[in-house]
Amino acid sequence: MSKPILEVNELTTNYVTRFGDKIFAVDHVSVKVDDGKSVGIAGESGCGKSTLALSLMGYYFPPLYYASGDIIIDGQNISGMDPDVVRKTILGNEISYIPQAAMNALNPTQKVIHFIEDVIQAHYPHTPKKEIYELARERFELLGLPAEVLQKYSVELSGGMKQRTVIATSVILSPKVLIADEPSSALDVTSQKMVIKMILDLMEKGIIKSLIFITHELPLLYNVTDDIMIMYAGQIVERGSADEMVFDPIHPYTKALMGSIIVPEEGLRDVKLTAIPGTPPNLKNPPSGCRFADRCKFVMPECRVRSVELRDIGGGRSYRCIIPEEDLRKAYKSEKR
Amino acid sequence: MKGYRNYFLKQLVWFLVTVVVAFTLNFILPRLMPGDPVAAIVARMAQGMSNATGVQAVYEQYTELFGTDKPITEQYVIYIRNVLRGDFGYSISQYPRTVADVIQSSIWWTVALQFPAIIVGWILGNSLGALAAYLRKGFDKVLMPISIFLSNIPAFGMAIILLVIFAVNLRWFPTSGGYQFDMVPSTSFEFVWSVIVHYQLPFWSIVLITIGGQAIGMRSMAIYELNADYVKYARFLGIKDSKIIRYVFRNAMLPQITGLALSIGTMIGGALVAEIIFSYPGLGSTMLTAVLGGDYPLISAATLIVTLMVLVAFFALEIVYGLIDPRIKAAQSE
Ligand SMILES: Nc1ncnc2c1ncn2[C@@H]1O[C@H](COP(=O)(O)OP(=O)(O)O)[C@@H](O)[C@H]1O
Ligand SMILES: [Mg+2]
Repeated sequence: MSKPILEVNELTTNYVTRFGDKIFAVDHVSVKVDDGKSVGIAGESGCGKSTLALSLMGYYFPPLYYASGDIIIDGQNISGMDPDVVRKTILGNEISYIPQAAMNALNPTQKVIHFIEDVIQAHYPHTPKKEIYELARERFELLGLPAEVLQKYSVELSGGMKQRTVIATSVILSPKVLIADEPSSALDVTSQKMVIKMILDLMEKGIIKSLIFITHELPLLYNVTDDIMIMYAGQIVERGSADEMVFDPIHPYTKALMGSIIVPEEGLRDVKLTAIPGTPPNLKNPPSGCRFADRCKFVMPECRVRSVELRDIGGGRSYRCIIPEEDLRKAYKSEKR
Repeated sequence: MKGYRNYFLKQLVWFLVTVVVAFTLNFILPRLMPGDPVAAIVARMAQGMSNATGVQAVYEQYTELFGTDKPITEQYVIYIRNVLRGDFGYSISQYPRTVADVIQSSIWWTVALQFPAIIVGWILGNSLGALAAYLRKGFDKVLMPISIFLSNIPAFGMAIILLVIFAVNLRWFPTSGGYQFDMVPSTSFEFVWSVIVHYQLPFWSIVLITIGGQAIGMRSMAIYELNADYVKYARFLGIKDSKIIRYVFRNAMLPQITGLALSIGTMIGGALVAEIIFSYPGLGSTMLTAVLGGDYPLISAATLIVTLMVLVAFFALEIVYGLIDPRIKAAQSE
């Protein structure tokens, strides 16, 4: 058995709104990422993917609060840690993040190299600038970025170059885990491919050990990550290996997500394009039964009253639905005809 | 650097074009007045002058100075030459002093009053606004209403409030003038002290008004910047707040520099109110007398100076921005 680099058990975190309401955007979520492995997280926008990313980094700044659960990074439990200590020792160093809005992630009035200096010195205060420059230059060149970028301001870079600069900067300290939050969704198809390739390169070149790749387009994860988790309304509704999830989805939501391709991947072109009707439930008062019930084609009266747990069906596969897997598969088959 | 040079040249060309336009307007407008401007000037000046040959002498003097008997192009050349020499003729309201002399003796009072007041108000206002954005909570709740109040009082209101409280009621400071009226300007201790005492009320009335507006502007800019994506990203990578605050305030400060340049450029207009209420011997008061007395040469010269100050301030602003804000630098090199 390989050892997990990141292990998150039953993590629950919530936002507190201005009026004091609690929004549980991450609700008893467990994630395990093994050394050298990658996990994709997919789900519609607003389902809590970004919040999950922040939560499992230990990034708790108002209005986001930790409620319960464990976060263990390479054997170190950070769940009870002071956020300021997490920031100094963990963020950017053990676990790093490529934010959703990577285009605007760089300070417009600071040169790239000066920001990198600040990042490195935040964790290793007395590192000489010369050493930082050498490290940055080497790292940028390894990732196919010209060293001149270091002397530029972000406004002087093109969109794709900005994106790649942010990626290279995020991993400047060779973190164990990298979380990429929709790193490509604002880009055209070619740039998307380039960004994904660059992120996979980080693993291949040993700069990072493990990867969590977040997207709202499930099919994008095919051929990108080893495992996939599907998130809906703050909860995980299904998980399994990427191949299984893409070609043999069990949960009706996963099935629906597979149909809602925006950018068809190679080998997936025959999948029909359909939007999922309806909207996700309000996380302020989620329904007591299955959270997907209102939008599910196979909904039964029971679904609305009985809360449903994530069911482990072996082989690293689990899903959250009261309908047996065979029945669901059968239903999908008859649908196709 | 090539991008910046082009930017600089472009700004310089625009600056020169606007200066030429300003000069030309300043030249044309008085000449559009109905009738003979020189006759009008002389008519005003001659009021109370019974000596016909004296009036004739003044008329000839002005005709020669402005060249009004020559073709318009030649007049323009004469005008430019006069301006470059600082020769604006005689002041009507303060005859026989020259316009240059009147302006020279009053402009330094204005600059010495306004420049420090604007700088002090700008620095205090921006620091308070930044602090309010960063601390929020109680400090913000107290500072903001006060700032909004301060920035909404018209300039004369602030001057009058200070005048009534500190000069009339408390009698801590004199009500008017730049120094005690019976003193002769010198470097003696008494005179300098008198200048300092007379300085306080007009100075603080300008400082207070500047603080209000600057604090409000800085606070909203800083709050906007504090929520920017680059702030979050810096946190994600473990950078300390004390460092991030520096990014934020630098970026929030840049637009505030516009306000500073604007205040400095429009200094004389801004001085008008405070100077008039406190009868301060600056250019503002002088302009008021000039307008009331129909002193065309003085009005014309003062207008030209005000215009030039605004243009120079904005030119300097563009140049400085181009250097310190990479966003402008980048936009230029595209
Ligand atoms: N700062 C916040 N305050 C309150 N609620 C928030 C905040 N940010 C996000 N949320 C809520 O949390 C939920 C999950 O958001 P997010 O994690 O951004 O979703 P995703 O990344 O999947 O699009 C959403 O319903 C959103 O309304
Ligand atoms: Mg998101």
